[in-house]
Amino acid sequence: MTRASRAIAEYGAILAVFLFVWWYASGPYGMPQYLLPSPQAVASTLWKMLLAGDLLPHLSFTARNILVGLAVSTVFGVAFAYLVYKFPVLSETLEGPIVVLQTAPKIALAPLVIIWFGLGLTAKIVLIFSLAFFPIFAGCLAGLRAMDSRLQDLAVLLNLGALQRFVRIDLPASLPGVFVGLKVGAVQALVGAVLAEWMSGDQGLGYLMTFATATYKTPMLFGAVLLTALLGIALHGSLNELEARFLSWNSSDEH
Amino acid sequence: MIRIEQVSKTFGQGKNSVVALAPLDQFIGEGEFIAIVGPSGCGKSTLLRIVAGLETATEGRITLGTSQLKRPVGFVFQDAVLLPWKTVAGNIRFPLDTSGVPRKVGDRKVEELVELVGLQGFENALPKQLSGGMKQRTAIARALADDPAILLMDEPFSAVDLMTREGLNDELLRIWQATGKTILLVTHSVEEAAYLGTKVMVMSARPGRLRKTYDVALPSPRTEETKTSADYLDLVGELKHMMRDADR
Repeated sequence: MTRASRAIAEYGAILAVFLFVWWYASGPYGMPQYLLPSPQAVASTLWKMLLAGDLLPHLSFTARNILVGLAVSTVFGVAFAYLVYKFPVLSETLEGPIVVLQTAPKIALAPLVIIWFGLGLTAKIVLIFSLAFFPIFAGCLAGLRAMDSRLQDLAVLLNLGALQRFVRIDLPASLPGVFVGLKVGAVQALVGAVLAEWMSGDQGLGYLMTFATATYKTPMLFGAVLLTALLGIALHGSLNELEARFLSWNSSDEH
Repeated sequence: MIRIEQVSKTFGQGKNSVVALAPLDQFIGEGEFIAIVGPSGCGKSTLLRIVAGLETATEGRITLGTSQLKRPVGFVFQDAVLLPWKTVAGNIRFPLDTSGVPRKVGDRKVEELVELVGLQGFENALPKQLSGGMKQRTAIARALADDPAILLMDEPFSAVDLMTREGLNDELLRIWQATGKTILLVTHSVEEAAYLGTKVMVMSARPGRLRKTYDVALPSPRTEETKTSADYLDLVGELKHMMRDADR
């Protein structure tokens, strides 16, 4: 079995068990509809929303914010990690502040982000960034530090310029670490995106959740939660796929 | 051509300083094959790294006939140091890709080099799929890619088994004869030094210094027969004696 088909089989099996338990609890077991709507009710709500064009805009809004937030986090995370790697003095002076920032409860600061950056897109991206930046930064830095130091000798021997050195040696060497950070960061980004939508705006899966809760539309709430989970799985799956494609040189198994 | 004048290296400063290399002079002519042999800590790798420009000499001067070039030397590390994300062909062409050689020209050059080091059929293999000997062949081809007149090798075969090592030695001699390069090879094997070199520099430790430079008068090309000849065995004995003597 290939990697992809095995992953699909595994996810499928877990999903099937989950659906069965859900169905049993809401049907034969007799949980009330307003506490636990049946899978069928949730599916039909989602289907109706999809047909009415009320679903995809929310889904794509959240997905886009996550992708943009992750992209911004990756660019800054890699750039910052590279600076710290190149200038060790920076890591000594910045380590304290970075740890303080990282251990600060950023979710608790979310309202402040809204106050500072407004109700629009910027605040959402900033919140995602504040959560996803650190894992990517840390992963990239670990990747850079794990690099064979003699590759730097090679760069000297080949008389490579700073840009060539970065693009052709340091960046590829750090990619395994960046991917570790990205996978952690993607989960954080999802949390950040939904959180931001809870607090402001009228779009996205997070907004859908707060709207459904306020109007007692439990099936819609479940649908939104389910879609958020699926979005997370899709993100994780795509990152795994990208990793398998671009980082096969780093895996220990030999084909 | 390599001229080494009063080159020395001291690590650290003041009381904690360690002399890695006492002042050393040596002239190496074009097309010579110099083997540098000595125990660990004798500064042989340090000397090679200074010639390569990877370390700076504390005092003294190195003059290379090729110093006007962007890349004056080719260098082979002790254990290959390949880019793990690139294939054999990708690693060999790395020096070409980073100096703006046109793709077509590079392709031809890579094909030539793959043949020279005997890696046909492995062009698309990744380093993790290669044996130690094959990695080292790839590294040699990479060092030769932009055709440097000087090739520096830092214990290039110490990580491969004896059989492979002897085969690689013969291949190195063939490559040297085919290309006419000036080669500086560091080794801790006296036999290897005597078999390969036109000259052998014997170094000793604490502090690292040059004991003596031998001219090797063995007939060329060197073959399996060379290894049983009286001259070769005498030289090996003499070199060993010199190293032991130096160690005392």
